[in-house]
Amino acid sequence: MTRKNDSSELSRRRVLQGTALGAAAIPAAGLLGACATSGTGGDTNDVKNSGDAKNPFKVDGSKALEVVVFNGGFGTDYADTKSGHLSLYKKKFPKASVKLEPKKDIASSQKPRFTDGTPPDVMDDSGAKKIALDALIKDGQLAELTPLLDAPSYDDPKVKVKDTLAAGTLKPGTFTDPKDNKAKVYALPYFVEAWSIWYDSHLFKQKGWDVPATWEDMLKLCKDIKKDGIAPWTYAGKYPYYLWDLLFTLASREGGRKVSEDIDNLEPKAWSNDSIVKAAEALYELKKKGYILEGTPGIDHIESQTKWNHGEAAFLPCGSWVKHEQGKKAPKDFVYATTGVFPFEGSKLPKLAWSSGGEPFIVPEQAKNKEGAYEYLRIMLSKKGSAILAESAQSPSILKPEYQTIKDSAAKAVTKLNTGADNVYRPQIADWYVDFKNNVEPVLGELLAGKTKPKDFLKKAQDESDKIAKNDKIKKFKQSY
Amino acid sequence: MTTTASPSVRPRRRAHKATRRGQTKFIISFLALPVALYIWLVVMPFVQTFQLSFTDWSGASPTFNYIGIDNYVDMWDDDSGMIIPGFIHTALMLVIVPIVVIGLAMFFAFMLNVGGRAKHGRIAGVSGSKIYKVIYFFPQVMSLAIVAIIWREAYNPASVGGLVASLLKALGLPYPENGFIYTAPLTSVMIVLIWSVVGFYLVYFSAAMASIPTELYEAALIDGASRVKTFFKITFPLLWDSVQTAWVYLGIMALDGFVLVFTMTPEQGGPNHASEVVGGVIYKYAWGDQSNAGMASAIGVVLFLFMMIMTLLFLRLTRRERIEF
Repeated sequence: MTRKNDSSELSRRRVLQGTALGAAAIPAAGLLGACATSGTGGDTNDVKNSGDAKNPFKVDGSKALEVVVFNGGFGTDYADTKSGHLSLYKKKFPKASVKLEPKKDIASSQKPRFTDGTPPDVMDDSGAKKIALDALIKDGQLAELTPLLDAPSYDDPKVKVKDTLAAGTLKPGTFTDPKDNKAKVYALPYFVEAWSIWYDSHLFKQKGWDVPATWEDMLKLCKDIKKDGIAPWTYAGKYPYYLWDLLFTLASREGGRKVSEDIDNLEPKAWSNDSIVKAAEALYELKKKGYILEGTPGIDHIESQTKWNHGEAAFLPCGSWVKHEQGKKAPKDFVYATTGVFPFEGSKLPKLAWSSGGEPFIVPEQAKNKEGAYEYLRIMLSKKGSAILAESAQSPSILKPEYQTIKDSAAKAVTKLNTGADNVYRPQIADWYVDFKNNVEPVLGELLAGKTKPKDFLKKAQDESDKIAKNDKIKKFKQSY
Repeated sequence: MTTTASPSVRPRRRAHKATRRGQTKFIISFLALPVALYIWLVVMPFVQTFQLSFTDWSGASPTFNYIGIDNYVDMWDDDSGMIIPGFIHTALMLVIVPIVVIGLAMFFAFMLNVGGRAKHGRIAGVSGSKIYKVIYFFPQVMSLAIVAIIWREAYNPASVGGLVASLLKALGLPYPENGFIYTAPLTSVMIVLIWSVVGFYLVYFSAAMASIPTELYEAALIDGASRVKTFFKITFPLLWDSVQTAWVYLGIMALDGFVLVFTMTPEQGGPNHASEVVGGVIYKYAWGDQSNAGMASAIGVVLFLFMMIMTLLFLRLTRRERIEF
């Protein structure tokens, strides 16, 4: 009996220890092992623009260049050493060894490198696992890109790089410098990223439907579409951020960019503006009228896009990458076409579009070859660089249309959404305030699913916005058009 | 009881000690390197987690500031809306998953081993029990990630061919229009977790039951005890130790449930935080958009303390007299 008791005590203690270690392993797993706090910040140098058209940043051609690119919907062929941007760099600096690292998970593969002070020279900080740009800027980890923007452009030394870029495209890369509180560009969003409504123009022709000009026309058309046994709408229900464009553009076309600007600036009554109320109610109506494909709230982007490809739904709110992402999934006669969100009758800005740049390319402050990195970005923004992108990723770059040649009809339609500086905008509240995104975005999904009433959604949005406005610990951003 | 050693054995003990000292040196020389590695790679990060929980470290910078207990205070405000639901859901999983798994596994093990009608006076399981054992164990051989993906597809809405919903629809039964994950994410995840481990514990309890002498069952049979009575009067009390161990392991496994949550649910804990679990919340703070490794560490520390208290309580409450047989 005695021995039994002893061994039972022993096993109890051992089990206890085992459990304690098991529980402690979870917090530890998220960190970086033994050297999480042992990294040091290295010395950095600032790159200057000398104005020389050939080599404005005084690149040392023998230094290596390492580029990390997010391997997502657009792939990484456009950047590779065979025929991509790195091949252009290698051609210019034959002695440099160049390396492309395609990554699916940017945060877990690159964050430790920033901590260690050994980041890559250029990085495309994109994808679901990106590193938050503002956190990197707060930590002083990013080089600002003014020297690049002021440098002579690659093809025409008389024009500065920044003057070759389309209106509003740098917005997502612009942040406040924590040192002097001035707005500076820290990231180069290289792709045109526009949200809009996509449809199959072949299907529309076949059925004799006209693309509606207004929201009211769209509702009328929905009746006919439903009669044909097709669901008027579907969307990526699992990812409600696909719905922000519908809500914000519908509201801001009606009430002007001020509607979205107030929301971004966390104004106390931003979410009770008449236009945003009307937009939220209109979206709720879509579900109530039965205009949304059954099961949509529970499906992901690929499932919704594929259903749409196969003619089960007519309209799809989506981003400019949809054609490249779907690849060969669409039937042969499917024709990708896009239009802005159908405005309410009497809208103030009926042509307003959510169009700016996406896929932010950054230069880490501690990069080994910063000069080379700036030059690489300048090469990306050349006519040839843009042509490579259009060829391999079927996406326009942020260069003005006159500086690039686009053949693909879908890509052309995307550039056409941008009708000038006064007609583009980019709502950023969900990018800037992660708590807002986490707490309001899912409720937007519930609004379209018919689970949350418009007034409850608007109240939730206003409450979260007020909470952030009151919290001094959260750094605030300023939106202005 | 163990301290009462008789004086006559003392000299022998001393001699033992002398040789033991030599042994100790020998053992230390062998253990020094692995222990040092263990301290450096395992113990140090644990200690560092405590240290980091008092900082504002983003996770990406080489520098950070000490901010006292701010992280622990902010945790209760829960501005991200996921920490408190995370703890609640984890606690639910810690209670529900072990109870259901142990209950089911024991029931199956009993039926497969001693639940059948006695043939010629011998105790046996229900007919076909060997085949059942293989079937029940099968999910165990698949990696959890694969299990998660298979079930995610099976749970899909009927309109995109989700297996379960389509079946219900075909049978004319009510089915969730937006799929199971959208309608009841946490329950759906727990069902998968239970499904995937029940087979292992079935085999585990079968082995434990094999060590119960059959005479006990035969005696019960002769006395005319029903199957239910036999289970509660003989099997269950004699398996108590195994149940305790199973519970602790299942608790650890339920904490790992975030693998399923991450793979199966939208927003990796959604929709709208309805399936958030602590492991996932820590991950999101350390690696996700939150970029706040200090907070991640603080939640880790709270989880650690929470688990310590739970385990202590559990072991104290379930302490029983051991029965020898």
